[in-house]
Amino acid sequence: MSFELRDHTADVAVAASAPSLSGLFAAVADGLAAAGCEEIPDAGGERFPVEVRAEGVEALLFDYLDQLVYERDVRAVLPVDNEAEVRDEGTEWALSGSARGVPLGDVDAREVKAVTYSEMRVAETADGWEAYVVFDV
Amino acid sequence: MTDDDVKQFGDIRLERVREHVWEMPREGEMRVPARVLASEQLLEQIRQDKTLEQLRNATHLPGMTKHAICMPDGHQGYGFPVGGVGATDAEEGCISPGSVGYDINCGVRMMKTNLTYEELEGKEEELVDALFANVPSGLGGGGIVQGDVDAVEGVLSRGVDWALEHGHAVEADLAHCEDEGRRPDADPDAVSQKAKDRGKNQLGSLGSGNHFLEVQRVTDVYRDDVAAEFGLEADQIVVLIHCGSRGLGHQVCSDYLRRIEKEHGDLLDSLPDKELAAAPAGSRLAEEYYGAMCAAINFAWVNRQLIMHRTRRVFERVFGRDWEAMEMDLLYDVAHNIAKKEVHDVDGEERELYVHRKGATRAFPAGRPELPSTYRDVGQPVIIPGSMGAGSYVLRGGERSLDLTFGSTAHGAGRTMSRTQAKQEYWGETVRDELRDQQKIYVKAQSGATVAEEAPGVYKDVDEVVRVSDELGIGDKVARTFPVCNIKG
Repeated sequence: MSFELRDHTADVAVAASAPSLSGLFAAVADGLAAAGCEEIPDAGGERFPVEVRAEGVEALLFDYLDQLVYERDVRAVLPVDNEAEVRDEGTEWALSGSARGVPLGDVDAREVKAVTYSEMRVAETADGWEAYVVFDV
Repeated sequence: MTDDDVKQFGDIRLERVREHVWEMPREGEMRVPARVLASEQLLEQIRQDKTLEQLRNATHLPGMTKHAICMPDGHQGYGFPVGGVGATDAEEGCISPGSVGYDINCGVRMMKTNLTYEELEGKEEELVDALFANVPSGLGGGGIVQGDVDAVEGVLSRGVDWALEHGHAVEADLAHCEDEGRRPDADPDAVSQKAKDRGKNQLGSLGSGNHFLEVQRVTDVYRDDVAAEFGLEADQIVVLIHCGSRGLGHQVCSDYLRRIEKEHGDLLDSLPDKELAAAPAGSRLAEEYYGAMCAAINFAWVNRQLIMHRTRRVFERVFGRDWEAMEMDLLYDVAHNIAKKEVHDVDGEERELYVHRKGATRAFPAGRPELPSTYRDVGQPVIIPGSMGAGSYVLRGGERSLDLTFGSTAHGAGRTMSRTQAKQEYWGETVRDELRDQQKIYVKAQSGATVAEEAPGVYKDVDEVVRVSDELGIGDKVARTFPVCNIKG
């Protein structure tokens, strides 16, 4: 799985791809961390769980990233090394995951305010899945 | 109409109505035409990204009245463009959280002093260090107030009144803030616990990105009579504070976008961009969002108030005088990201509208009843921050703003370059050193990357933005200021 930061006049976008939907969500989440911090330490910080449910795949991605931004603010940590398992449960989609929370005091990080729906795309490709997400900074 | 009066940018056609006014004619699903207020120079920059496409999308919002409008500093945002103004009918239209933006009541305030630049010279480093040490900025830096449940509830419901009661304001601060620092429609119960959780540790903090606190000197005065009414004169030191509602406001927007998606999916499906999410006027959700947004507006006003009052204390220590003796009085506080119910004349009829200003500033001329008595006969102060290497401006609401822009003008210089590109083109430490050595501007930031992202070269020419505002008569040039010290997250 991989991600890259894309140009946006005012904000920042993340383009990600992965063989699986679960890997895709984790890649976008890692992109969110990279959008606010150039140098993420390889170690340090405790892992914490993330659980999200939503009515569709895009909604699940929005809520997942929104939850990570929330956790960042209330735990005062930068969520990195994200892991996610995405499940289609019929009437709704669910994500169980975790992130390593690096204390904000240990990194040179800037604020990503929120995830947006603007130009959001989650699509299946011949090689797996890809996504595009714009973040408000 | 000559060839010079028509611009074709892809599938978007603009026709010149008159100098600096370009109209995008109504076609397809557009409910109204759109207008771009720009010189040829600014239009050339505006057309480079998706600003015009986003402006056209905004005309699809139900109840959109007269035009969706792009200000001279417009640029691509998400959903609605930054620098966008859209007025929707408050009975039959909608209110759109996506057209307000995440940072509800992001805005600026300017505090005056009676200090001159000469008195400050030689103390720049001491002052910038003291401000940086005492005004929380960046991620996880906490706030001036460690908010508990009661504090957050009080701030959300009472705005700057709460700050006054707790010793962070004086009466005159309320009188010089839009709505006297308190939105009467605020409903703290409509703000989620998640939003309150995020806000309670950030009360009185700058955040990061383009937010800053800047000590400036007045370099030019263009209208002596208005400047005198505002209490501004050449060489005077002023302080400009730019920030918003922090995580609390961001969460309010996210929460209501999702609720609209679940409860008004039919309306959402009719819009060309999901980020324009809107609740129908009169719906329960529209009322709840309005109450929550107004509460977040209060939070942002208190946030800027706390920072301003802390700044007074910092000046006391650096200059060895009481802040009252330095006449550190609030000039005005203006909001950039907001939707407000306002009554406007539309084709001779008085109508109540939700005026969405996303990266745009209210610019009411003299006579509007909403203005504080101090400015009712002269027009409201409008503060236009430039980049940290360029001037900022104080305008006053222009006579033509009500006719052209629902009483609005620009909010800043407007970006021209992405943050990722900025970090490739600039090195934060180099930018900082050059500003100090070449322009005597002292910058202190949590991160070199922030300085690079906010380098002066990534912004439009603020002088040109203000020239267009002034010539259109939507915001009249009163004074120009220039940075001395700048802190950012």
